[in-house]
Amino acid sequence: MPNRLRPKDFARGIGVIFVREINAYFDAPIAYVYASVFLLLSCSTFMNAFFLKGVLDMAPYFDLLPFFLIPFIPAITMRAWAEEHSQHTIELLMTMPLLSIQIVLGKYLSALVFYLIVLLGTLPIVFMLLFLGSPDLGLIFSSYLGALCLGAFFLAFGLFASGLTRDQIVAYVIAVLLGFVFVLSGHEKVVEILDGLAPAYRIGSLLYESLSIAPHYSAFTRGIIALPAVLYFTLLSAFFLWINDLSLKRDRR
Amino acid sequence: MRRQDDSVRRKALNFEVVYHKFVPIYPLCSPFPTPNSDVNIDFPYPPMIRVTDVAKWYGSIRAVENINFSLAPGEIVGFVGPNGAGKSTVLKMLATYILPSSGKITIDGLDVVSHSLSIRRKIGYLSGDTPLYQAMRVDKFLKFCGKARGLSGDILEKKLAWVVDICGLSPHLYKRIDQCSTGFRQRIGVGAALIHDPPILLLDEPTHGFDPLQVLAFRDLIQSLSENRIILFSSHIIHEVAALSDRVLIIHQGNLLADGSIDNLAQKTGQSRDLEAIFTHLVHLQN
Repeated sequence: MPNRLRPKDFARGIGVIFVREINAYFDAPIAYVYASVFLLLSCSTFMNAFFLKGVLDMAPYFDLLPFFLIPFIPAITMRAWAEEHSQHTIELLMTMPLLSIQIVLGKYLSALVFYLIVLLGTLPIVFMLLFLGSPDLGLIFSSYLGALCLGAFFLAFGLFASGLTRDQIVAYVIAVLLGFVFVLSGHEKVVEILDGLAPAYRIGSLLYESLSIAPHYSAFTRGIIALPAVLYFTLLSAFFLWINDLSLKRDRR
Repeated sequence: MRRQDDSVRRKALNFEVVYHKFVPIYPLCSPFPTPNSDVNIDFPYPPMIRVTDVAKWYGSIRAVENINFSLAPGEIVGFVGPNGAGKSTVLKMLATYILPSSGKITIDGLDVVSHSLSIRRKIGYLSGDTPLYQAMRVDKFLKFCGKARGLSGDILEKKLAWVVDICGLSPHLYKRIDQCSTGFRQRIGVGAALIHDPPILLLDEPTHGFDPLQVLAFRDLIQSLSENRIILFSSHIIHEVAALSDRVLIIHQGNLLADGSIDNLAQKTGQSRDLEAIFTHLVHLQN
């Protein structure tokens, strides 16, 4: 049968790539540096806002999270494909009896688990809030779910950007720019400016409603786990993984 | 006899040659003859690899064109040509890394375009760039290659032990790959290509980075692996190809100039039994 795999073999192939990639993350000291810097910056910014507001919630942390993810996630994903191309190990991977989508998913899941581990590094904030009083745990849970969806989406387009080039820096810059587009298109001022440029077309509002992460992510941070928001992140992540797979197939031609 | 008996030299290189009994892992990859198939001129088995009118274009640049040949189990075939002649392109197409722009390649009756997964299970491929994950330990890297090729448990351990043995990898098995020498890395690459015991071995410039003694030991290794297996290796070093191959494919500027044993080619070209003279003659003719 031409290039078909049983579900068990499909999952096994993803697992093999996942294990190699997750080990590669933890073998590289730079990953620890990225994770430490991210946690230090995001948590210290939260602590500042927490002491100024004096409210027992994590809203200041989750409101700023998209801006911290813009530089952090591309740093995780930039090496994923660019390094394979520069070290020619892409040739090794693509001549193994694996479908390109298995390799894409293995890399994606390993990056997602690494991100999840870093995100778990913020749990001391939750424990601190619990120690100080009774924060809304439902709200915190939905916000973490939003952070997971947001990170998963950033990782998907970060991987795609990495697949476009052999240069890690170029991959990083492309992913950061994409991150800015998705985050800033939901910013009030940006929407106003874009609407003002062409009032008849209301480009800013159009981008906000169709492209921006803001309305979907803010639903989670308000304690609402809405199906449209989950679908938005899931479908867009799947889209970027799919075009990543297509770009690998195109390289064979 | 090309097979070397110099055990002292092999031991010095830690390239202990084991004459391995070939046991196909995958049922579809039988190297044995099937009825109603063509019979190759010099070998008793039918062709397992067929390359028919293959061309590869990178945009408007022609890499290779009109490539035709077939290979049968048991053959050691040297692919010779200058740098940029198209050797690596043909090997990459056989390994299913890139697709032919036109023409047809079948391996064990399966088309490389539509059945790439089944074909990859039958192929061990060492790219000319020796792609290795530099930060991985040698043993972990080989296990990763084995697992990706469907091996697990005892079978993986046995294959790993076999590969470590025949490629002489034991001295640095627990070192990171980036701490190994160029020659040793090349041996790791050969080991990774062999880990699933494939019936077809495609090696692009396999002796790159070897010292002269390692080249001799490598010849022994290839000889020991050749039974019932197709070994196609490329090189631009003509005497290396002459020393190892049963048959030679000469490629120049993307065209296959000749295909046959050295005796056969010498007869056809009217040259002495010297591959270098044959090669020079054919290249001059084309130019």
